[in-house]
Amino acid sequence: MIRPLVVFLAVTKNWIRSRSGLFFSIMFPVMLLLVFGAIFGGGGGGAASTLFVQNLDRNSDGTTTQLSSAFVEALNSTKTFAIKDVPADVDPKVWARDNLGPLGGNIRIVTISKGFQDDVLNGTFKVQVGISYKLFNQTYMYFAQSNETLRLVYEQGLAQMQLYNETLPDTRTSLTLAFDASDQSAAVIKNIVINVANAFNYHLIGATSVIEFKEESVTSKRFGAVDYYLPGIIAAFIMTNGIIALTSNTTEFKRRGIIKRLSITPLTKFDWIIGNVLSQTLLSLMLTAIMIVVGWIVFSVQVIPDVLSILMIFLGSVMFSGFGMVLGGLVKDVEAASALGNAIAFPMMFLSGTYFPMEFMPSYLQSFSRVLPLFYFSEGLRYALIYRYTEGVFINMAVVSALAVAFIILGSVVTRWKEK
Amino acid sequence: MTEIVAEVSSLLKQYGNLRAVDGISFELYEGEVFAFLGPNGAGKTTTVEILECIRSLTSGSARVFGYDVTKGEDVKEIKKRIGVLPQDFSALDKLTVKENIDLIGGMYKKKLDTLKVIKLLDLEDKAKERFENLSGGLKQRVGVAAALVNDPQLVFLDEPTTGLDPKARREVWSVIDNLKRLGKTVFLTTHYMEEAQILADRIAVINKGKIAVIGSPQDLISKYGGRKILVVRKGSKELAKILQDKYGGTMLNHGGDVVVKVDDVKEMWQVLSTLTDMKMDKEIEIQAPTIEDVFLKVVGSRITEEGELK
Repeated sequence: MIRPLVVFLAVTKNWIRSRSGLFFSIMFPVMLLLVFGAIFGGGGGGAASTLFVQNLDRNSDGTTTQLSSAFVEALNSTKTFAIKDVPADVDPKVWARDNLGPLGGNIRIVTISKGFQDDVLNGTFKVQVGISYKLFNQTYMYFAQSNETLRLVYEQGLAQMQLYNETLPDTRTSLTLAFDASDQSAAVIKNIVINVANAFNYHLIGATSVIEFKEESVTSKRFGAVDYYLPGIIAAFIMTNGIIALTSNTTEFKRRGIIKRLSITPLTKFDWIIGNVLSQTLLSLMLTAIMIVVGWIVFSVQVIPDVLSILMIFLGSVMFSGFGMVLGGLVKDVEAASALGNAIAFPMMFLSGTYFPMEFMPSYLQSFSRVLPLFYFSEGLRYALIYRYTEGVFINMAVVSALAVAFIILGSVVTRWKEK
Repeated sequence: MTEIVAEVSSLLKQYGNLRAVDGISFELYEGEVFAFLGPNGAGKTTTVEILECIRSLTSGSARVFGYDVTKGEDVKEIKKRIGVLPQDFSALDKLTVKENIDLIGGMYKKKLDTLKVIKLLDLEDKAKERFENLSGGLKQRVGVAAALVNDPQLVFLDEPTTGLDPKARREVWSVIDNLKRLGKTVFLTTHYMEEAQILADRIAVINKGKIAVIGSPQDLISKYGGRKILVVRKGSKELAKILQDKYGGTMLNHGGDVVVKVDDVKEMWQVLSTLTDMKMDKEIEIQAPTIEDVFLKVVGSRITEEGELK
């Protein structure tokens, strides 16, 4: 057992002293965590999205009508938008494009049509009359059946209201939201505008929401967005360290004759693989610890690894180190190793649900994800760190363990210890 | 030279249609420096790697310390007893000299103290230096140190001085000389004639997978090296004619030197006596044949600095 430890110590020292190795194995993942956390962490302070508003509903003196201005103010009160007024006499798309400039970002334009105020008032009045009619009708059904006088009064009143309601024009006003189809945030912006319009409607007709919306966490602790991303990022980088870094290192050692030199000694290829796997495992545990500490300091993450999650990290690391040793055994030169590692690691990273939910993907890709090793590692780690769902951890752990054993055996087979 | 350390018989290594090693046979004796001299692609490294048990053979047999290089259990025994400096030796860049030697030493149950090996190779000043910061010559010395850390009985040095400058090359020669003094058996491969001639007790000239000749440098030179040459610097046509008439084998070269080929020491003294009688005050140089002449004779070409035939 001493030889794998000698290899472990040597390759670990060699890696720790390599600035580029240290950067790509530890610093780069930490930087990515910081970027992800800053984007999705909900820390606030982000720049509001620019929303162009062209208000065509104007009084005879050219000023905007009271209701249309109130609507713009309602949009503004969401604090989501930096509203820019578009003059009424210009083409809003051209104006917005010129105003943003070539590097200005996405164009989103809300157009308030002419007659907005009148249409809203008329429409609101008709809705209110309709509501009143329904209310009278319900009370008529309830109170007036037994009293003849009251019944006649009700029927007269209801007939009058119905007649009046039919004379009111069936007006609706429209808002137009124009955006670029490739705009990733357009759907969110559209929902915000619709919500503001609905709230504006409710307010005008004097209604309040009867459904109260409450938000709760499915986990025992109240985790933030970064807590949910963290297991995925850790899993993804343990994977890249195994598949890309270890594969490249192995081929580099092979190219420089270091493996050949070691193969002349009593060291077996199994010893060599175990030594490298142990080194990668230490690296993975270090990476996890650093990521959690950085997440804790910068984003106040609350995940605390327990025995199961540490075991999961160990097994995941063994699995991907084994995978790296398989690739390193198959590929001859460093450039090919790097290309192959990237070609496998990057699709796996994005298809395994580590960075965004798998529900975003078409069903056939979701099925494909379930054959990827990273899926099981990432899921297992998320269950262990976030949900504390032991059964889920064990199922994924079983798959990861089986793959780890398979990769190490395959790595031993494809690693050449003797030239042809 | 008594005990046989390694024995190769009708060794053949074939890659498709190419015979890298073509039925060679030789023995290696305890305590000798045995040089495999040949150009690139001659089959030197292939043969050595078969003996090191890291390359398979096609046919024939190879035994080291009596163990068969093709048998699993025998291979373990061979690996314990040999030390190797591979061609283009390299080590882990970020590790120090001592750490790299420790890495190799860590693979053996029986090993020498690393510091002792470092001292032996005169690397004490560099023990804490990272491998990446060493010069070519020092790197080779680290390679030799790593080859000695298990106190091997047989040391393979595969092209130990290729790519080194003359100073570094002489440093490595001195190391090899020390190995001999320590009683180690050394199997050296090289394409440098001078190196083989200076260091080796026996030389095998190998070309195209076959051993052309094998023997001690002196034997090979006397057998294949041709005649000694006596050069009279800045001679004249007249002198060349006199010597040609008297001894034959004389010519005037483009530099104006008179070159006389002599068969033996007796004839050389006769030529010198003639020159003395003529009261010649010219500079005289005696050139003995070398391994290069042997190589030229048996292979028909010379080897360039890069190891190619020309």
